[in-house]
Amino acid sequence: MFDSVKSTIEGLAAQKYIASEEIATTVYLALKMEKPILVEGPAGVGKTELGKCIAAALNMDLIRLQCYEGLDESKALYEWEYAKQLLYTQILKDKLSAIMQHETTMAKAVERLSQEDDVFFSNKFLLPRPILKAITSPNRTLLLLDEIDKSDSEFEAFLLEVLSDFQVSIPEIGTIRADTKPVVFLTSNNAREMSDALKRRCLHLYIDYPSRELEERIVSLKVPQCGEKLRTDVVRAVHKIRELQLKKEPSISETLDWAQALVILGINDLTHDVAVETLNFILKYEKDIDHAKKHSKNIFVH
Amino acid sequence: MAAAHDASAIQTKIYEFMDVLRDASINISSDEVLSLFHALSHISLLDKSVFRQTLKTTLVKDYTDIPIFDRCFDEFFSGGGDPQIDVVNAFREMHARDTVRERGGMTPEEMAGIEEALADFIDRLPDEILFERSPEEILNLMIDELAQAESSGGLGQMLFNVRNRNRAAAGSGQRAEEGPDDMADIVNALSALVNRRQSSKKIGTQIRDREDYLLNKPIYQIKPEEIREMRELIKRFGQKLKNRISLRKKRVKHGGIDIKRTLRTSLQYGGVPFKIFRKDRRIDRPQLVVMCDISGSVNQYSRFMLLLAYTLQSLFSKVRSFAFISNIVEITPLFMEMDPERALNSIFEDTNFTYGWGSNYGRCFDNFMKDYSDSLTRKTTVLVLGDGRNNHQDPGLDSFIRIRERSRNLLWLNPDRKHLWNWADSIAYLYREYCDEMKEVNNFLDLSEFIDKLFLDL
Repeated sequence: MFDSVKSTIEGLAAQKYIASEEIATTVYLALKMEKPILVEGPAGVGKTELGKCIAAALNMDLIRLQCYEGLDESKALYEWEYAKQLLYTQILKDKLSAIMQHETTMAKAVERLSQEDDVFFSNKFLLPRPILKAITSPNRTLLLLDEIDKSDSEFEAFLLEVLSDFQVSIPEIGTIRADTKPVVFLTSNNAREMSDALKRRCLHLYIDYPSRELEERIVSLKVPQCGEKLRTDVVRAVHKIRELQLKKEPSISETLDWAQALVILGINDLTHDVAVETLNFILKYEKDIDHAKKHSKNIFVH
Repeated sequence: MAAAHDASAIQTKIYEFMDVLRDASINISSDEVLSLFHALSHISLLDKSVFRQTLKTTLVKDYTDIPIFDRCFDEFFSGGGDPQIDVVNAFREMHARDTVRERGGMTPEEMAGIEEALADFIDRLPDEILFERSPEEILNLMIDELAQAESSGGLGQMLFNVRNRNRAAAGSGQRAEEGPDDMADIVNALSALVNRRQSSKKIGTQIRDREDYLLNKPIYQIKPEEIREMRELIKRFGQKLKNRISLRKKRVKHGGIDIKRTLRTSLQYGGVPFKIFRKDRRIDRPQLVVMCDISGSVNQYSRFMLLLAYTLQSLFSKVRSFAFISNIVEITPLFMEMDPERALNSIFEDTNFTYGWGSNYGRCFDNFMKDYSDSLTRKTTVLVLGDGRNNHQDPGLDSFIRIRERSRNLLWLNPDRKHLWNWADSIAYLYREYCDEMKEVNNFLDLSEFIDKLFLDL
């Protein structure tokens, strides 16, 4: 467990995740307060990565649930294992008739049977899905609900119980409460606004593009072969490109791709011509590339 | 004891800050207040960036509000970014509080009572009084009110006496050093407290007022230097609008049978399709065709409309946009490839919209039917933006009626005042007869309300 904001930064750095103070503060608080974190921000700034690194830094099991349209409780929470139930009733047929042979009337037989039906709706026949798994796990786990904005609003509604009380209610069994509360980590790309009820239960973190200094550190960590000068040039160029009005701004992952590509090409110096030729690594739209080329004199100083 | 006093001072400060945020129309629920105070016990208050992030992460849940939060925080917790001023202000405030308490011989509880009364009073004041009167005047107003209200009891009476004695002393030329009377100091100190409240209230209110002002300002009156600010606002506001509408998107469960799911669930009942599941049928997202007059008279207005339409693009299944003056040109591809703002600028660079002189609605409607009628389906909402000033040319009514017939609905937004709709060369009333609605819309707020309503009706 992290014991200060500073140790959070260090712990994440050990997992090769460079966290800003803002990120570390929210993560630290969420762990201390046992509250879920909702992370928003543009694509490719390392939202999912942050979740993974927290789990690794704290040595927790990571349970990941990728959300999508149509995801429902039978895939996210639990399901009754029907085939197994059926199989058991078949096998236990003799036993069942033995139990009921002394009952004279139908009503009594049904009553007798209903005393036993708990057997078939018990934990044995319950197939836990990611959320229930995270709650029942004896070790502390990190439950990563990725791209929660892709799910339907019904799904969001039954998440509420999990998020605020760390429990799941199963009609046939009752309420299952978490012994060790999992760390819940939600990411969203803003395809859809989350409801106020969900947001109220979470701490909110907005991860934006990093500052130049931070991004340089990220590059040096992830692409260590990249020389200092090239690194500075690449990051400076990316930051200038982000200031242009583009359809899709380059994110951190694109910066890393670019740096990696330049290293592979054996380039040590980001000259104007090289930069223009390799623009397609960071810009994904034809018009964006044209636009950047038009302004290339200002972006690439060499 | 000292620690307890500090803690309550910090609490007061934080409550004040939350008021600032609320003034700037950021919603904060009591749940969030609780979690903030819970969080504060885990961090060191001395580290400013951690403190800031703690407030942000617990109170601000809508990322479009983050810039507003940052501005409020900067102004509230440091006098314009200068830490020196911050310290001086804090001391001045503390000093003022101590002065009032000591000289007035009050207990801490009484002091808290006075501050609360002050805060209450200031909250109730209308903005024009709060921001335009001096702290002394406001203090006098408050004392007058307290003196009149019988329930105020000792507190009001005391303040009332304080002021009168102070006035008498000032009138006879005697100052405080004459006697043991420190009341002048008390009044000064109280004024300082009023002043602080006044300025903190100003922060949030000003941000909100500025936004309201821009949103309500007729678009043709927006000055060039305001356009930039306005664009930022449209982006922020558009995002909010989009979020709100997308939450409202409801679904109906009356679609066809979902075979996969029904069969899968039927296994539970030994293969008998006991429960039948239906496919969710989504309410169709509307298709939008926007036709914008971009001649000089309505240019600015069309730009904002297009900007808004493309911010909301994902709410529609398809947006096609056309610009015209006397020639109609499809500008959809520009928006596919570029950021909306850059697309707007490039419209004017490479296309020729003029054929002859001035707007020609009739010719454009004719051409639209000839070249682009494939964009019209029964799901299409057609939005025309323009003032209907046709320069006395053929109105092209036949084509206009055919557009109406082939689309779901036809709406017209007119930036002109209603009484000008048939004035001079405007033939707005002529077109109006064939529209589902023609609406006078001249500021951004009207524009966004209109869009909001568009989705309600669908």
